[in-house]
Amino acid sequence: VVVMTHAYGNRSGVRYMTGGLKVYYVPWKPFLMQNTLPTFYGTLPIIRTILIREKISLVHGHQAFSTLCHEALMHARTMGYKVVFTDHSLYGFSDVGSIHMNKVLQFTLADVTQAICVSHTSKENTVLRSGLPPEKVYVIPNAVDTAMFKPALERLSTDEVVIVVISRLVYRKGADLLVEVIPEVCRLYPNVRFIVGGDGPKRVRLEEMREKHSLQDRVDMLGAVPHAKVQSVLISGHIFLNSSLTEAFCIALLEAASCGLLSVSTRVGGVPEAWLKICSFCLLILYFSVVLPDDMIVLAEPDPADMVRAIEKAIYRLPQVDPQAMHLRMKNLYSWHDVAKRTEIVYDRALRCSSQNLLERLSRYLSCGAWAGKIFFLVMIIDFLLWNLLRLWQPDVDIEVVPDFDPVHRERGNFSGDIGDKCSQ
Amino acid sequence: MVEPHSITNGGYTYIHDVDKGPIEAIDTHHVIARRNAAKSVIFNLSSFILIANPLFLFFVKDKLAMALLWSLILCAFFVKLFFQKPIEKESVIIMPAFGVQLETHYRSGRIIRRFIPIDKILKAVVNECVTPVTCYWTLSLIVRGEEELTLVFKEFRPPLKLLVPIWKALCAATDSADNPDAFTQEGSGS
Repeated sequence: VVVMTHAYGNRSGVRYMTGGLKVYYVPWKPFLMQNTLPTFYGTLPIIRTILIREKISLVHGHQAFSTLCHEALMHARTMGYKVVFTDHSLYGFSDVGSIHMNKVLQFTLADVTQAICVSHTSKENTVLRSGLPPEKVYVIPNAVDTAMFKPALERLSTDEVVIVVISRLVYRKGADLLVEVIPEVCRLYPNVRFIVGGDGPKRVRLEEMREKHSLQDRVDMLGAVPHAKVQSVLISGHIFLNSSLTEAFCIALLEAASCGLLSVSTRVGGVPEAWLKICSFCLLILYFSVVLPDDMIVLAEPDPADMVRAIEKAIYRLPQVDPQAMHLRMKNLYSWHDVAKRTEIVYDRALRCSSQNLLERLSRYLSCGAWAGKIFFLVMIIDFLLWNLLRLWQPDVDIEVVPDFDPVHRERGNFSGDIGDKCSQ
Repeated sequence: MVEPHSITNGGYTYIHDVDKGPIEAIDTHHVIARRNAAKSVIFNLSSFILIANPLFLFFVKDKLAMALLWSLILCAFFVKLFFQKPIEKESVIIMPAFGVQLETHYRSGRIIRRFIPIDKILKAVVNECVTPVTCYWTLSLIVRGEEELTLVFKEFRPPLKLLVPIWKALCAATDSADNPDAFTQEGSGS
């Protein structure tokens, strides 16, 4: 497996990760929110070089907002590779930003071999936005790293209830809802404290709210929390609050549940689905063993009054929650090994799909829309021409293939012998 | 003197010379850029047309747009081929227990040499370098006291096949400096 992404700060070039995973940090500068500027054909040479030298068979792109992903998938399709796309988010249909994003997505998905979504809601959303046939879309929910997200060894005292919020403080994640909900809950319950982790444009509003209601000692603002520290922040609380206005699949809730926190969340997108799975598992266990808490989550509508009610219910339910039991349940249900196995099945199906010639593929672009179809068609034709020009300038045989070697078993003697043999082949 | 052993790959020729001197063998590795005959012809032709273009422009004023376009296209060709490497050959001379000398021979006859003592070399590494348009292999030395890696081949980008024997020789030489007994084993083994 080879990963390709853009450079982060001065982290650029080739890096090897655990297990021999090779990562290419290509030095294209990101310009907005970790996204590189769309260059259309600028990335064609480097993508072609990487695909040939690593003997790639299939290209898997992630996230609709990533320009590098769309470009890589476009070039890979032009060069005849099989392509899989995973969508991790839900988007709207009505605002200008969404309309453009949907068009770009339609372009990429017009010719994708297979697609993966993280929930059934997300699958519906993707199919509607892109017009992709539903048979091509698979649903593989995300997992959570239960080895990392473990509950605290000692249960926290319940004299003071601590509510943890960790999210990007942006409109989509319901930061405005938090501004309404936090003062109300603090007024009703004098023993409740809030810990807010994360950063974003709405942080200023939260700081103002703190000052206006004099809640400096009851609301802690931690700023951006690095991923490695998230677990330590979570285990310092009893309840996890998620106020997203839209969520394809909330992995933060799973991480919180894995740490033994009771969750309160807005009833949006793929959230109920993720929890339906856990609840049905609960019902089965009830028949055969000791009574378990009936729910690990309290859902609410995305409006302040309903959320305050939900928090009240959660505080009332708190004494019955057993963090260790919750953690064990999460461990059994969500594992990355399972996700990897299912993803491999999707790859096998993609590789078995028949290759199509240029004309058939181009005709699919024309059906994307009256004007858009023709633009997409033109874009792909130019890409095809540029690719052939590049092949004339630097033929495929001139690009050296990287020798296969296993860095895990690297000893000085073995390694040099190995690479020497592979090179002379 | 041992018969020079040569490999040709990817526009470069590699020659390995082992000179059995009075004390110990001196290992010499040369990488020579192959002259591309076709490229030289195009270079000469395009430079001629480019020089001729302004004269053409001067005499035929109405066909301005066409002439401009031609000049632009040929300019691109010219720029690409003009940067023909002025370097003819790059060599690595390994003197065991003494040091490594890196030489760059230019077509004009100029030679630039750089000597690195053996105890300053920590390790020879083969690295992949990623640029916004391509990815290639380089051979470099980690030198004590220097922040950045020292490239063995400054301008050339020889393919991996040519770099590996040089890398192995450099590793053998640096290892033998740390561990004098290892040298005879490596020399007979590799």
